[in-house]
Amino acid sequence: MFAFSPNRPTLPEDLIARLRPVALAKSRILPLGEPWGPLVPNAGLRRGSTVVVQAQPGLGGLSLALSLLTESSARGHWAGVVGVDDPGVVAIADLGVDLRRVLFVPRPRGAWAECAADLLDGVDLLIVRPPSRASHGAARRLVDRVRERGTVLIILAEPASLWPLPADLSFDITQAQWSTSSRLDARYLTVRIGGRGEAIRAGEHVVVLPSRRGRCEAN
Amino acid sequence: MERLLAIWIEAFEDEAPDGSTLRDHLALLEALTILCPFTESIRLGLFVLPIRGPSRFFGGEAKVLEIVRGTVLDVAHQQPRLGIADGLFCAEVAARQGRVIAPGASDSFRRSLALSTLGRKDVATTCQRLGLHTVGSFANLDVARVAERFNQQALALHRVARGELFELDGQRDLKLARRLRQLRGEEEVGDEQLGFFGQRGAGDDRADAAAHRVRRRLGAEAVVVASLRGGRVPEDRATLVPWGSPLSTSRDSAPWPGQMRAPSPATTLARPVAVQLRDASDHLVVMEGRGFLSETPATLLFSHQLRREVIWHAGPWPLVERWWVLNRRRAHLQILLVSGEALLLTAESNRWWLAGIYD
Repeated sequence: MFAFSPNRPTLPEDLIARLRPVALAKSRILPLGEPWGPLVPNAGLRRGSTVVVQAQPGLGGLSLALSLLTESSARGHWAGVVGVDDPGVVAIADLGVDLRRVLFVPRPRGAWAECAADLLDGVDLLIVRPPSRASHGAARRLVDRVRERGTVLIILAEPASLWPLPADLSFDITQAQWSTSSRLDARYLTVRIGGRGEAIRAGEHVVVLPSRRGRCEAN
Repeated sequence: MERLLAIWIEAFEDEAPDGSTLRDHLALLEALTILCPFTESIRLGLFVLPIRGPSRFFGGEAKVLEIVRGTVLDVAHQQPRLGIADGLFCAEVAARQGRVIAPGASDSFRRSLALSTLGRKDVATTCQRLGLHTVGSFANLDVARVAERFNQQALALHRVARGELFELDGQRDLKLARRLRQLRGEEEVGDEQLGFFGQRGAGDDRADAAAHRVRRRLGAEAVVVASLRGGRVPEDRATLVPWGSPLSTSRDSAPWPGQMRAPSPATTLARPVAVQLRDASDHLVVMEGRGFLSETPATLLFSHQLRREVIWHAGPWPLVERWWVLNRRRAHLQILLVSGEALLLTAESNRWWLAGIYD
């Protein structure tokens, strides 16, 4: 049976109903692995949405943002990281991110928004750490572009560089507690997940990031 | 200065689009290398070789000129122009004129050349308006007078004119050697990471295009990709190279006894920051010869007088690597600050450095 043969058989109604796409292209989801899957709506990040990860500097915000890449990276999606000056490559690899599909722009020198916009066409997930508080206009332009392109924008915000727009999904690290033995063992992060629009299981959750193996795990 | 024989083949200057010029150039280079192993290819169609050795071997410069002319006619089927003079600049000009400059006469030869030979139109025009028509008259100008009128490149030109430099700035084609290596099959063609990703899909091409856009905006080094190599500590294992540069595909699967185990710092400083560790009574904490700390650290001091209280530390883990090359002793220390931040410190050359942040 070929697609170009003139007398195609008519498909039964129930088969057509089953074949019809149930999700529109713009609402496609990039999956999240353990432990984030059960904690967020649709067990993933919706394309075109903005995720804001907020933490005090040094308390695990970067690790959390990177841990959101792992599942998509394993499935062959590209990711970009803008404004993270000195990425800890070993830690990123330990998290399970495929380094071959990550583009880093370490020092965008004031052109972070332009770089982010440039990369949007090429990557599926984009982590951006604005060096200072982003202006409302620049943030709005970037978010509009993200929605149009179907990328997931992950903003890494610190109290000194808050994101001026509401986020579709937000991760706030409220507490970080290291467990130690003769070395640093694991860190227990208390994360408040919030957002808007969809049924968010808002609340505080504790995850292990990084664990003894350098990964992100459920508590 | 070395006396050089320059071989110029006019027909090679215009490169044919089918690559035949490059192939002929390579064939001729190989034939000339048999004649003299120090033959250099400067640009397409321009070769130089030091004449002293061959002239003694073959019995005189005239004999060498004859042999070289025969070789070029045999291999490239072109009539070459040959010239002998001191230094690359004079040798090329002599070859274009087909002259052999006698030993010691290169200086006066250079000074008698027209100023336009130096290849800078603006310098030549300006100097001609000032009544300076030859390289020699330009060389007689004071350096300060040249510097106040022209830019840095013109100063280099002035040094060539005075005979302090022997070649012009753009005289060598720097990409030619690489192209010849590619033609010989010694180097992979293309500067993109072809084949690096196994198979390339549409996503890879899109990422490629995006990376190119960022590079156009910020420069070639702006986009980097990371990879891992063998090593014991995070700062040794990480490699960040600009996007598009060739990556070593060899994977290091060797065991590294004593490798620092996960978790690793999510921020690894490319340029470590010097810090100080102080104990409770504000004395410096140093590494002792046997790999112990002199005191229990209580405070971390950044260079700009920023103090943080240290509540816990682990280590130090000494690391003596490559002791046969240089006395390279390092040690690593994990500390936990009262604010909850965990840091990785390195001791090297009697100082503490902030190497990583468990961000």
